[in-house]
Amino acid sequence: MSARPLAGVRVLDFGLLTAGANTSAMLADLGADVIKIESGAYLDPFRVVGKPDDDDGWWNRSPQFRFTNRNKRGLALNLKDEDGRRVIRELAAHCDVVVENFRRGVLDRAGLGYADLKKINPRIVFAAISSQGDTGPERMNVSFGSTLDATSGIAALTGYEGEEPRISGMDVNYPDQIVSLFATGIVITAVMEARRTGGGCFLDFSQREVASFTLGEEILAASADPARARTRQGNRQDGVAQQDTYKCRDGRWIAVTLAAPDTTLEPFCASHDSAAAVAALLAKGIAAARCNDGVDLLADKALAGVTLARDDTGGLVKGLPYRLDGQGIAIERTAPDLGQHTVEVLRELLGYDDAALRRLADSGVTSTTPNVGEI
Amino acid sequence: MTAPDDLPLQRFTIVEVNDRDVPLCLRLATSLAGKIAADLGATVLKIEPPGGDPVRRAPPYLSQGESALFQFLNTSKRSLVLDLGGAAGRDALARLLDTADVALFEEPASIAGLVRAGKATPIEIAAFPVEMNAATRPVSEFAILALGGLLHMVGEPDRKPLRLGGHQASYAAGLTAFTGLATALAARDAGHKAPAVRVSLAEVMQWVNWKAASGTEASGTSPGREGKGSEFQIMPCKDGHVAVVYTATQWPQTRALIADPRLMDSRFNTRAGRRQNVAEIYAIITPWFAGRTRSDIQKTAQAKGVPFGPIFSPAELLDTDQYVARGFLARLGAYRLPQLPVQWNGRSFAPRPAPNLPAPELGA
Repeated sequence: MSARPLAGVRVLDFGLLTAGANTSAMLADLGADVIKIESGAYLDPFRVVGKPDDDDGWWNRSPQFRFTNRNKRGLALNLKDEDGRRVIRELAAHCDVVVENFRRGVLDRAGLGYADLKKINPRIVFAAISSQGDTGPERMNVSFGSTLDATSGIAALTGYEGEEPRISGMDVNYPDQIVSLFATGIVITAVMEARRTGGGCFLDFSQREVASFTLGEEILAASADPARARTRQGNRQDGVAQQDTYKCRDGRWIAVTLAAPDTTLEPFCASHDSAAAVAALLAKGIAAARCNDGVDLLADKALAGVTLARDDTGGLVKGLPYRLDGQGIAIERTAPDLGQHTVEVLRELLGYDDAALRRLADSGVTSTTPNVGEI
Repeated sequence: MTAPDDLPLQRFTIVEVNDRDVPLCLRLATSLAGKIAADLGATVLKIEPPGGDPVRRAPPYLSQGESALFQFLNTSKRSLVLDLGGAAGRDALARLLDTADVALFEEPASIAGLVRAGKATPIEIAAFPVEMNAATRPVSEFAILALGGLLHMVGEPDRKPLRLGGHQASYAAGLTAFTGLATALAARDAGHKAPAVRVSLAEVMQWVNWKAASGTEASGTSPGREGKGSEFQIMPCKDGHVAVVYTATQWPQTRALIADPRLMDSRFNTRAGRRQNVAEIYAIITPWFAGRTRSDIQKTAQAKGVPFGPIFSPAELLDTDQYVARGFLARLGAYRLPQLPVQWNGRSFAPRPAPNLPAPELGA
């Protein structure tokens, strides 16, 4: 890729876990300079839930954190300290975008909400990603991944035929994964508007609404017929003659979609290994595929396309969901250690000298180690 | 109310080409990307084959038999019927491409070469990554969920893998294509050459399912469907079901919420211990749910910061307080549907009705 599409855009990234941190990561992948803010007192929870051990430096070894935060610079600034908040306000003057997914009100109470930062930088695009959105009676509700499978409607349509609803579960947390795919495009649209008009905006994303949006036709159909009964239908799909997963002779499951019903499919699969069954079905023009697990996904480089990449330490990280000019991603930075770029960024953007940096470190505003007691 | 001349993508023109004989799941993705741009104000011209986009005839249906799927995916667009099998239709398309900013299309399509050669930035939606060389492989959205590893994650370990409800592969790819489209518009707007964008449903599903890759890389074994062995279970309650969800740090609050002394057992103090004793924990907490409604459970759980999720059907979502208060569901004639899931300085983007099927262009 020649000129990176978002070259010259700088992002102040308070994003945590997937919904927030990955929106910033997608902006970084497009060329934005993303400055991730954490503090010794509050790490991105991915550093904690993914830690492989408790040895010194554990907070810098989480695979989930490494997957999601590559191509960013990392700062650690204590937002509970007025000096930390002052540094953030100074940084905001040099940034085009803020991404945050704190519980509603956290940044407002710190004097770092949109109303505060807009006064410092009227062009700022402030993307607030939350469970329920910034308004409404449930705005303070907490959720975690699969909470939103339940409350969005997805779980009601997921499950074995006639049985109870299902959620995607903690190893998928599906609603968290799709937010950034939408939010990134809206942020880019808003940056374009800010360039044109000179004015930024407040973007209020509800993760629950994003998940319900993926069921738009079901909600629309329900509004036409409130009595419309929607129950779990396993793998069947309206308008499709026959569709299910079938167990093969080697114990592997395959997914098959048929344009006309065929009662011989189940015994056919049971008497063939999965690879042979899929090949035979594909040769007949029938859509079929093995139900891949993680081992299969890591082994099949052609299938992986551009979705996985290696950073310069050889670590596996998240790639791109799309390719631009035929290319995948360039991992220019491995995910930052806690506070790795605090000094570099405060010198470069704010012109801090050694004495100022030392004062911040001595007073605990900046750090490179967690204050474990407060995690 | 939003003035129509005050929408963020209003100065852009997008051509969305629905060629004939393209797999339906690709068409849903293309249509969703175009719809988002159209609701944001772009002029989106949808090129349909003679007889119309097959999605016009796809379920679910509204009272008069119209397709709810088509109505949802094509709000705020304009439509034009062109026979792209003929020279006149292709010439007409070529002229449109010369004045558009971006062209959305599906691969494989007979007009792919034409679109890639036009002045509009091409955004193509495919089933598989280029590395698979699978342009002729039969396609279904369900098979793509299997390839991407999503099916492996949902259901009971000793029973068949399950798909998620809705058109999740197509829609996640549609959201991705919209972000690619916004990237292309921003580059053009800044006077740069915009990158051509290619989105495959199979890559998007693997990207979404990245924890399968990271988990396998870290441990050597793949995560998979845990069903009744999972820490997160579905509990029946007085008026439906609730998803039990809590993070490791929220266990003390969860325990306090249920307030059964047996939960104080020291075996449950660590996440590993809770995972080993999932069945016992659920045997203890099941009665607590049975006597309560979803609403009671959500209110008392939220008061303690516990993120249990009541399960709502699409019909019930039409009346949920939060969606009503935020005006998330827009009116469309006699119907209601979700609007774009973002508020921009407090403003929502009300969709306009999907276009009727126009008469074919003369000579096309």
